[in-house]
Amino acid sequence: MKPISEYKEILTKGIWTENPVAYQVLGICSALAVTVKMSTAIVMALALTMVTAFSSMIISMMRKRIPSNIRIIVELAVIASLVIVTDQILRAFLYDISKQLSIFVGLIITNCIVLGRAEAFALANPPVDSFVDGLANGLGYGLILVLVAFFRELLGSGKFFGFSVIPQFVYDLGFQDMGLMVLAPGAFFIIGLLVWLKNALPGVSHEKR
Amino acid sequence: MSDSESKPNKNSRANVVLFALMVSVVCSLMITAAATGLRQRQQENIALDRKVNLLRAAGMVPSGEKPLAEEIKNLFDTRIREKTVNNQGDLVGPGTDQGMRIYLITSAEVPDQVDGYILPINTRGLWGKIHGYLAFENDGQTVAGFSVYSHAETPGLGGEIESAWFQKNFKGKKIINSQGQFVSIRIAKGEVENLPKDKRPNHVDGISGATLTGQYLSEGIENTLEKYESVSVSFRQRGGKDVNPNKKSHKDTDGETH
Repeated sequence: MKPISEYKEILTKGIWTENPVAYQVLGICSALAVTVKMSTAIVMALALTMVTAFSSMIISMMRKRIPSNIRIIVELAVIASLVIVTDQILRAFLYDISKQLSIFVGLIITNCIVLGRAEAFALANPPVDSFVDGLANGLGYGLILVLVAFFRELLGSGKFFGFSVIPQFVYDLGFQDMGLMVLAPGAFFIIGLLVWLKNALPGVSHEKR
Repeated sequence: MSDSESKPNKNSRANVVLFALMVSVVCSLMITAAATGLRQRQQENIALDRKVNLLRAAGMVPSGEKPLAEEIKNLFDTRIREKTVNNQGDLVGPGTDQGMRIYLITSAEVPDQVDGYILPINTRGLWGKIHGYLAFENDGQTVAGFSVYSHAETPGLGGEIESAWFQKNFKGKKIINSQGQFVSIRIAKGEVENLPKDKRPNHVDGISGATLTGQYLSEGIENTLEKYESVSVSFRQRGGKDVNPNKKSHKDTDGETH
């Protein structure tokens, strides 16, 4: 067993310092697509976290046995199977949200974060580390998704988790929901601002490292 | 995998084939287990979702809301009567899978009074089948609502057919023109306001970027309505009197003017 501090380091790296969306700029497509509402963003984040964590772990367990010339195919087979299983589970237990996520759960297969972690981390590290790394990157992706969804839902439809939170008198004063936030470009702006914010915070700038 | 203990052997052809085979078998077992194990639950969800959408088309469930499963089943069982239209255009009881399905909406206050009817819409879309429901009031010409429960259109473009803003435009539209002829209801290219005034009651706002989805849906609705036109005509002529769900003819079903 490794000291806890090492896992902690993997976690902070995945969730914050090398955040897959804000630092590696991966997984942008789905980050635009599923962040109109908090509920879809959270379910998507959980689905991706599960897939990344378990695929990294499984691939890491096989890493010494995988023939190098079919490496990518094997990785994709593992990822694709896990995604299908996740999709089936969502359809059985969270049907409405799964319907709203439509193809984007299936598209986790092509999400660069999953294959990226398999290639960059799982192939060179033991299973438990890889699991933690996958978990961290999934949570890092989820963190950005939830932040983006929070602003998009609030500004775009005046809601939080589907409940209206902007009082009527604000609308009476002339406030309007921002239609832009409901559309994909709104997510672009927010993700861009988040990347900027992350770099502007002391101690996490790319340039300093 | 046991014979791959020595490292140089890892990339031998036999080992590659063996490894690929094992991965495939394990993965397929995993998927099969998940798919078969969860199938029943998934099908229950799908059936419930269809019922909600049917009730939504009839205006009994507000769009965007989803009541509890019990409530949905209860509403469906008490207010909706499943019927089949036979070759003569008569409505016969459930149980026949031949012929065309129709759902009668019965009144909440007066049992057996038909308030309207719902037709299933099954048509092709741009990328796959579109399944939905189109509800009518019992005058046989006014649309009461529209809903979609399954489609494969592009999210954000054609996929907007399942959104509330698109569906609510169907309410109150007519499938006949001012001369009383059948013209169906079409998805306009752009906004209905840009159309001549006499055509507006027969069109709904289109979705920008989804012209083809709109076209296919318009065609599908028209084909369906043509098939059911005899039923609609009988509703138009008699205001629903003859289509009492229990065939106890002509009783207090004159309420078509509300």
